[in-house]
Amino acid sequence: MKNLRKKIVSTPIVAVTGGKGGTGKSTVAVNLAAGLSAEDLKVMLVDTDVDGPSCATLLGVQLEGGEEVRTFVPDIEASKCVGCRRCIEVCPEHALIGLQEKIPKLYEELCSGCKACQMVCEYEAIKDGWKKIGTIYSSVVDEVKLVVGELRPTEPRSPVMARATVMKAIEELKGDGYDVAIFDTAPGVHNAVAQPLWVADLALAVTEPTPLGTHDLKLILDLARELGLPVEVILNKADVPGGLKDELLNTCHERGIKLTAEIPLDEELLRSYIAGEPLVKKAPNSPAGKALMSLVSTIRDRLKGGEI
Amino acid sequence: MKEIVVASGKGGVGKTTVAASLAVFFAKNGVKVFTADADVDAPDLLLALGGGKKLFSMEIKASRKAEVDEDKCMGCGKCIEVCPFGAVIGPNDGKATVVSLMCEGCGVCKLVCPVGAIEVREAPTGTLGVEETKYGFGCATGKLRLGEHNSGHLVASVRNISRRKAQDAGSEVIIVDAAPGIGCPVIASITGADYVIAVTEPTPAAKRNLERLSKIIKHFGVPAGVVINMSGYSKDFEIALKDWVVRELGFQLLGEIPVDYEVVKALVQMKPIIEFNPDAKASKALIEIAERVRGEIL
Repeated sequence: MKNLRKKIVSTPIVAVTGGKGGTGKSTVAVNLAAGLSAEDLKVMLVDTDVDGPSCATLLGVQLEGGEEVRTFVPDIEASKCVGCRRCIEVCPEHALIGLQEKIPKLYEELCSGCKACQMVCEYEAIKDGWKKIGTIYSSVVDEVKLVVGELRPTEPRSPVMARATVMKAIEELKGDGYDVAIFDTAPGVHNAVAQPLWVADLALAVTEPTPLGTHDLKLILDLARELGLPVEVILNKADVPGGLKDELLNTCHERGIKLTAEIPLDEELLRSYIAGEPLVKKAPNSPAGKALMSLVSTIRDRLKGGEI
Repeated sequence: MKEIVVASGKGGVGKTTVAASLAVFFAKNGVKVFTADADVDAPDLLLALGGGKKLFSMEIKASRKAEVDEDKCMGCGKCIEVCPFGAVIGPNDGKATVVSLMCEGCGVCKLVCPVGAIEVREAPTGTLGVEETKYGFGCATGKLRLGEHNSGHLVASVRNISRRKAQDAGSEVIIVDAAPGIGCPVIASITGADYVIAVTEPTPAAKRNLERLSKIIKHFGVPAGVVINMSGYSKDFEIALKDWVVRELGFQLLGEIPVDYEVVKALVQMKPIIEFNPDAKASKALIEIAERVRGEIL
């Protein structure tokens, strides 16, 4: 897999992921973006968690406008359709149904937009129709370019929307002199997570010291390995009372994975989360603020050294 | 038999903690319960219940993947152009290659290939199983393959098998632990259920994602109640949130669970918090919530 992944844009891309939900992926992503930007790097922050994007909220910005993302759905011209059923037979999602010699009916929510129906129709009865699957918002917050993908509620295809967000970001990265792009991912290890990881140069897996955190971390480490993507671990809530830090460190050690940062529990972090202001700006000297500032310096040095 | 789905727009707000405690509360209070872990991407419910004894497991092959016959491929690149998922790429040797992880198996590549070099074959989606927990009730689980697309199908399989097994066992209720988010696996969990417990936390990010989840719940016409977990840090925000849940979302407020590190200790011991420490603040709140759910839904 490693040699299949090709760099499609020269900007270094750091993906912030982690497997389990609520471990602090978006917190790390926004702080990294804000911190690197304050170090005079030109930063793009991309929220690819299209089911539940949080980066804008954490930066305290309202998203406005936005660009619709549409995918193909078949628009069947009744006058041309002869009822041959080729489209119904070929549809891999069973989104088209119909009785003999009747015009097929489309179940739009099942359609993946693959166009197989259009390709097999010999009578050119299937025109391009569209459905909206989500919106991509762009904004600039304190010199950080923010790109957010948001799935339209009731649309099930998160991977397609995540891919659209990734492609949009890459298009904007091309030729615009960015020093780094930070991609925040959804929780889990499904395809909507694989989409941003596919284009990344480094993954930071944020986890917490609980059996669930360790379990889900292993899954994301497996996925990164499958993709041939270098991955490092960030341990959040490191000192949570009763936590299983040693077991987590063992997992990292056994797999030869570097622990890049440890972020302690810190009420200041929660306050910054609620206030919508990154901790590296609001309280850089708090315990978690220091840990995040140190992560920013580490990543900055490695970017400057061309290591990412 | 009722199906109660525990969902949340945002991850890590406590779905599994609520589901595990609810199931154990029911089991210990004379309600026949069955459980299903519909977070097939990162199934954690059995971990929170202290593991299970495997009754059976099977492989589900509901996915399809394209494969290129390199001897036939002449490198025309048509498949690369039409693939809607970016799964067919052209490496250096001029032949097309399918990145299996990205492939949805739609088969348009096969349709356009002029030399018949592409076949679409059945492929594994993941595994499906049923385990028995130490609390006596069963748990249906699924595990999606890494990077896989077909989560909705696997979730439907998990729900189907849990219904069958629950019926066999004479269960009155199935507790379904859903995936985070609002996508395919969540829609597959909520459709046709009797009640959704939407878990959230008092932060703006979680509120925003609860609002997005509420749109799905309403779209499918399922009644719902909200549990606010990890409360106690920001009183003003919490008061406004509760008001918003009732007035704007029109959902029932099932209760609040205060921040309590006993929950972390319970997770580490792999016991539901109400079992690990019934006197903990969080346990008391969860027991009240479970009683309310029993009273109003069952």
